[in-house]
Amino acid sequence: MSKGFRQSQAFLHTWSGLLLGWILFLVFVAGTIAFWREGLNRWMRPEIARVEQPMRVLAGSQAFLARKAPDAKSWIIPVATERSPGAQVFWVPQPKPGEERGRRGRRGRGDTQALIGADGQVAQARETRGGDFFYRFHFDLHYMPVIWARWLVGFATMMMLVAIVSGIVTHKKIFKDFFALRRAKGQRSWLDGHNATAVLALPFHLMITYTGLVTLMALLMPWAVVANYNDQNTLFAALFPAANVVERTGRPTPLIDLRRIATDAERRLGAPASFIEVSDPGDAAARVTISQSANSMLSSRTPRLTYDGVTGRLVWRSPPPGAAAETAGAMIGLHAGRFADDGGRWLYFLCGIAGTLMVASGLVLWTVKRRERLLDPTRPHLGFRLVERLNVAVIGGFPLGITCFFWANRLLPVALRGRADWEMHMLFIAWAAAALTAFVVRPARVWPSLFAVTGVLLVALPMYDVVATDRGLFASLAIGDLMIAGIDAAISVFGIGFLLLARRVAHHRPAAKRVRRAEAATASRVPEPAE
Amino acid sequence: MSVLSLLLASAAFFLLGLATDAHHRRRFGACPQAARCKMLRTGGWLSLVMSVAPALLAQGWIFGPILWAGAIMAGAGIAFLALNFVPACANARS
Repeated sequence: MSKGFRQSQAFLHTWSGLLLGWILFLVFVAGTIAFWREGLNRWMRPEIARVEQPMRVLAGSQAFLARKAPDAKSWIIPVATERSPGAQVFWVPQPKPGEERGRRGRRGRGDTQALIGADGQVAQARETRGGDFFYRFHFDLHYMPVIWARWLVGFATMMMLVAIVSGIVTHKKIFKDFFALRRAKGQRSWLDGHNATAVLALPFHLMITYTGLVTLMALLMPWAVVANYNDQNTLFAALFPAANVVERTGRPTPLIDLRRIATDAERRLGAPASFIEVSDPGDAAARVTISQSANSMLSSRTPRLTYDGVTGRLVWRSPPPGAAAETAGAMIGLHAGRFADDGGRWLYFLCGIAGTLMVASGLVLWTVKRRERLLDPTRPHLGFRLVERLNVAVIGGFPLGITCFFWANRLLPVALRGRADWEMHMLFIAWAAAALTAFVVRPARVWPSLFAVTGVLLVALPMYDVVATDRGLFASLAIGDLMIAGIDAAISVFGIGFLLLARRVAHHRPAAKRVRRAEAATASRVPEPAE
Repeated sequence: MSVLSLLLASAAFFLLGLATDAHHRRRFGACPQAARCKMLRTGGWLSLVMSVAPALLAQGWIFGPILWAGAIMAGAGIAFLALNFVPACANARS
């Protein structure tokens, strides 16, 4: 029975991993990069100076909003930190009579926001999505309705969990064998590499997959919610309690200096604040709600304080969340790693890379394993060719697309209409070109050329920064801006990695010549390491 | 303290790794005897268990376990890379 069970698990592992593996690869890459979301937000806006005094940004934001939108329904001001490019403030205009009140005005979001820079003035920065792109792409993908994307990603995540568990069950040996890495042994090496990246970061893989499902749980398993709550509003009220809404009085009264409230809130919370929401600014009924920063605690459901916006008196304090909400909050916090300091971020990042390599090597392994069993290796069957080419298109093409996204960020003219969108279009255009090549040209040629192009472009990027911007590697090091310098350095390292990979793949000779066991090992042109 | 936890975790995986036939032969020139193998294994597990304490001391009960999970992953990674990629001494490789 044991053998039958193990075999069925092996089957499950292979197919659950393969069919959604390409989506998982995208999700892993984007998620891994998104751990540096704040850093990339700054890196992709090199004009902007580093925030040295967050309170100055806050004062500037208040002054700007008071000028620009004095009678808005509400203002939302993120508290700037040294990690952020400034404060991306936005405001919700008063709803016109007869118009439906959305939670956040959907129309014209573009002209109801502004970026306040380090000096408290509106910053003139290039239009870009920055690191937020990777964060959204991680679960919303692109060019498709958000709900579909989340279902797709959610389904892929479930398959991932299936693949992990069935992988553990099938290959119990991996725990004994995981110190072994037999190099240059064809399939064996691939298997060892796949095992190593899987087992070394296994706690991370399990955690990130499971908590990833938790972030989407309301979508994937709505029944508990449906059974217990009649409508969305009661659910929101239970999950995100808020102070009672006060009616607008219509009596104009100046708003208190937000810095005073922020300082008081940080003292009471014992932690930095992250968001300030002002409702009915400039009215006698103004309220200021401050949420604690998610950097300071595990749970992503952070406590909030509400103040009277005129007198600055504390009027409401969020109750401690229920056990279930707290658990879900802690899991989402664990998934996003917002609590982590720089060392922790690196660990998350490295584990993310391990996960990416695990998915990539698993996908390639599928072809490596089957290539040896092909009846006629020169004319493989359709399914094999499809998987092989999709591997090239996704594993080789997506990193190239991301590289082009970064380059577009540097090269597109600042005045271009819809610039932020064009940056993203460039990613997908480059990726589509790579994918097209993958389906036309032999994989053995495409693998190394894609890696080489990606590598060259990545290595050139920090050099371009040194020459063409005043935020090059050396300038950042000189002012001690380690985040920006670190991103430049990491890009170079990845570039060199891709170049080495390209060389290795290009020089790879059919395994039959190197590995003894293989007259039959028509494992010809196995692209050696993937990403 | 978090560094200590990482060091203990790396040491643990070094010992566990050396307890396997392949790596022991590569480093010391012969497969480990049963007694020696047991010693290495015990040492490894002991070190792994001990690495919990500094993690908890450094970060408390909420972040401590997370730190520890991170430390054992990083430790295992370091040991794995070192065992496989640092060349063995010439005299040991018979």
